[in-house]
Amino acid sequence: MFPKLDPVLHSELRLAVVSLLAGVESADFSYIKKQTGATSGNLSVQIDKLSAAGYITVEKGFKGKMPCTTCRLTETGLEAFRNYVTALKEYIS
Amino acid sequence: MTANESLALITETLNNNRKEITRRGGKFFILWGILLAFFSLLVYALWKSTGHAYWNNLWFALPLVGYPLARMIRSKEGPAVATNVVSRIVSGIWTSFGVFACSVAAFTVLLTTVGDHPLVSIVVGAGLTVNIVLLFGLAETISGVALKNWAIKIAGFVTGIGSVVIYYLTGATKEQMFIFTLAGLVLVATGLIVKRQNR
Repeated sequence: MFPKLDPVLHSELRLAVVSLLAGVESADFSYIKKQTGATSGNLSVQIDKLSAAGYITVEKGFKGKMPCTTCRLTETGLEAFRNYVTALKEYIS
Repeated sequence: MTANESLALITETLNNNRKEITRRGGKFFILWGILLAFFSLLVYALWKSTGHAYWNNLWFALPLVGYPLARMIRSKEGPAVATNVVSRIVSGIWTSFGVFACSVAAFTVLLTTVGDHPLVSIVVGAGLTVNIVLLFGLAETISGVALKNWAIKIAGFVTGIGSVVIYYLTGATKEQMFIFTLAGLVLVATGLIVKRQNR
């Protein structure tokens, strides 16, 4: 019996965001947008979903006069990401 | 998405991310390399034309020029920023190098102004230039270890050990400025290699 894949992570953009955040301490919205190639609107929606699930934290602030949104993966998010990868490996093997 | 597609997406994202952060670091290697080569040639030219070693004080202008330029490059890239453990370690290595290099240089200048202090001969006799470039080579090699990049590891070793060899060949003369020029050029080459490898 295959383990159930986490529905929060099993979406292309949300998985890309979490994978990206798993490799950094923090990343701002513009960086995530550039690396994922997503539109601002879609990325905002997916970031809100990840934040609501407790997988990432979102800090809104300013860098000089420019607004800046910084995202970080939480412990819960990292654990979910690890479980997701483990589940994927079971599917493949 | 299938399981394979998901894993491929994760792998691609992680790799692209690592490359992007490393590539950005390459720009700063190029900037500091150019400045290092420029200042070494400037100090050499002024020292040679006037015969005064006090032109070495110009080195203190290097961070004053370099840091605003680094900030400018960063702001030109836009607000997009990401940090990871590796970028933080590399930043820490070079900040430590800057603190060590400026402190030992300031210490030497201070002792020189005191006059015939016995410590002056110890510091100068130990070869300030060669020690700073040795530190520089070490900083570069450790950066290469952190970035898992053989080009940087080798460049650091060549710069550090090369500086010792050149120092023993030229001695503590104005020609030792060419050690810094070499270090600067190696740093520029390193930056170009890093950018090319992480396109």
